Amino acid sequence: MHIPDNYLSPSTCAVMGAAMVPVWNMAVRKVKKDIPKEKIPLLGIGAAFSFLLMMFNVPIPGGTTAHAIGATLLAVLLGPWPAAISITIALLIQALLFGDGGILAFGANCFNMAFVAPFAGYFIYKFIKERVSAGKGEYIGIIAGSYIGINMAALCAAIEFGIQPLLFKNAAGLPLYSPYPLSVSVPAMMISHLAIAGVAEVIFTVAIYAFIKKVSPGMIYEGAKQKIKPVYAIIVALICLSPLGLLATGTAWGEWGLDEIKDVVISGKSLGFIPEGMKNGFNFNALFPDYAIKGVPDIVGYILSALAGVAILIIIFKIVSTFKKSKREKLQS
Amino acid sequence: MTEKDIPEWLLKNENYVPQLDRDTFVNKSITSLLSVLSHIRRQSGHKTDLFGINAAFSVIFTILFVVLLSVSRGLVFVITANVYLLFMLCFLKSEDIVVILKTSFGVAIFTFIILLPTALYGNFYSIAMITPKVFASVTAVNILSRSTRWNSITGALKTFFIPDIFILVLDITIMYITMLGEFSLDMLYALRLRSVGKNKSKHTSLAGIAGTMFIKSKEMAEDTYAAMECRGFTGEYRIYRKFKFSFADALYIIANVLIILCFIYFGRYLRK
Repeated sequence: MHIPDNYLSPSTCAVMGAAMVPVWNMAVRKVKKDIPKEKIPLLGIGAAFSFLLMMFNVPIPGGTTAHAIGATLLAVLLGPWPAAISITIALLIQALLFGDGGILAFGANCFNMAFVAPFAGYFIYKFIKERVSAGKGEYIGIIAGSYIGINMAALCAAIEFGIQPLLFKNAAGLPLYSPYPLSVSVPAMMISHLAIAGVAEVIFTVAIYAFIKKVSPGMIYEGAKQKIKPVYAIIVALICLSPLGLLATGTAWGEWGLDEIKDVVISGKSLGFIPEGMKNGFNFNALFPDYAIKGVPDIVGYILSALAGVAILIIIFKIVSTFKKSKREKLQS
Repeated sequence: MTEKDIPEWLLKNENYVPQLDRDTFVNKSITSLLSVLSHIRRQSGHKTDLFGINAAFSVIFTILFVVLLSVSRGLVFVITANVYLLFMLCFLKSEDIVVILKTSFGVAIFTFIILLPTALYGNFYSIAMITPKVFASVTAVNILSRSTRWNSITGALKTFFIPDIFILVLDITIMYITMLGEFSLDMLYALRLRSVGKNKSKHTSLAGIAGTMFIKSKEMAEDTYAAMECRGFTGEYRIYRKFKFSFADALYIIANVLIILCFIYFGRYLRK
């Protein structure tokens, strides 16, 4: 679901970026107010989860791939605003270091994955939890929330792709950016996410939530005991398993490189041309494009990328936590 | 006591405003001394070493790591090494991470600027290799110093058959930095408290502090050695600790063996 650069017109990117500004602003304020210093590193752990889950590409019949986000998981564990910040930072690291998702399209990607997904998931979870009896309601809420959350995000991405050929054409009537109209992009994105990525998201969310609830309930309920070691253990396990994401060889729908787009076959026809805006578009060279490191086998490169991403995310949030005063320091001043 | 008994000067209102004096150098010395002392004290305050890794392993692997890093000629190994260090770093405490990264980035940026002319002449290899190498080496050593107590490091040195005299000197030096530091700190405080208003002879008192310190250290050295001899110290260090091989040790060794394998595969050759 990471929209690369040049698939969306610069003006679409600007609009999406502008839409995210108030969200980020509100999220930062909420986190400053509500989250105590000691809990901020948890946002880093959340971001690390999201980062890793997005590395597990699931193959989809038809040669494309999709992945989970972990948005609802973070929203349930940390709250929707902190989740928005965690996922934003995870997306930023992916875009800058690994070239997953464009720089210009960063606002759009954040809108889909860091805003729509966690908020939709969270409110559905809350709605169901408050209405269904205690034990079951929680899990039904999580299942419904995570499934609908990721699909809402996919729908937004599909609409962003789909409106491009309607709005931006060159003199010859050929699309400048993403070439597929809504009638192609919405079914393509939605079928893959409704059928497979949504299920993957539900499985990951429920499994990780149940595990955390069992070993470290303090992350969910105030005052219960909080153990961080088992949580690190899942992260390490996910890092070791991350090369499974390489088994899915196809490119995700809407994430083709310049060399691939010409030959993409949709309803029996290949596209046959490279849209103009893509050919001469903005180009950013990430340090380790596609989670690969030059001169290293793919699997090792993937694990190294996962390690680096997780470490950087945890370090970023630990550093952020030092800027914030703890309760004791606040009383002293 | 009647009012008559009180001397007149005590009843007068005083409005003495001391002249402002510059005492930045005293304050600066105090803060720098305090930072060193607090670092050492925090070290001795740790109950166990972070990660619970045996100090002998962390010392030997850190040295080996720095050596491998400096002889490696492939960028892949340097990247792997940096990723490994970042991963180690993320388990440390937030405050330690900030201090370590500040030093490492400072040194790396300095290296980058020094090497910038070579890049302008078209040699990108050295700037791309040396900067991350410097970053990694500084980070590795800092992680060791922040995560391991100094007395466990001296203990670890004994396991590598380093002569006792070196360990003695190292051990006593660290101890003395604390003790003499505390003395000079007290004297600086005294100097600051006693100088009300303008005190022109403040700089000369600094020489006094240094002189006192020297005499004090000589006396203390004699006392310490005498005390150690009385307690049966013959100049030989023995470790009275049972060696336990923990789970963390195993993980640490596996990680480092992987790093060495990685060096063998990617580090030796120049690959493009």
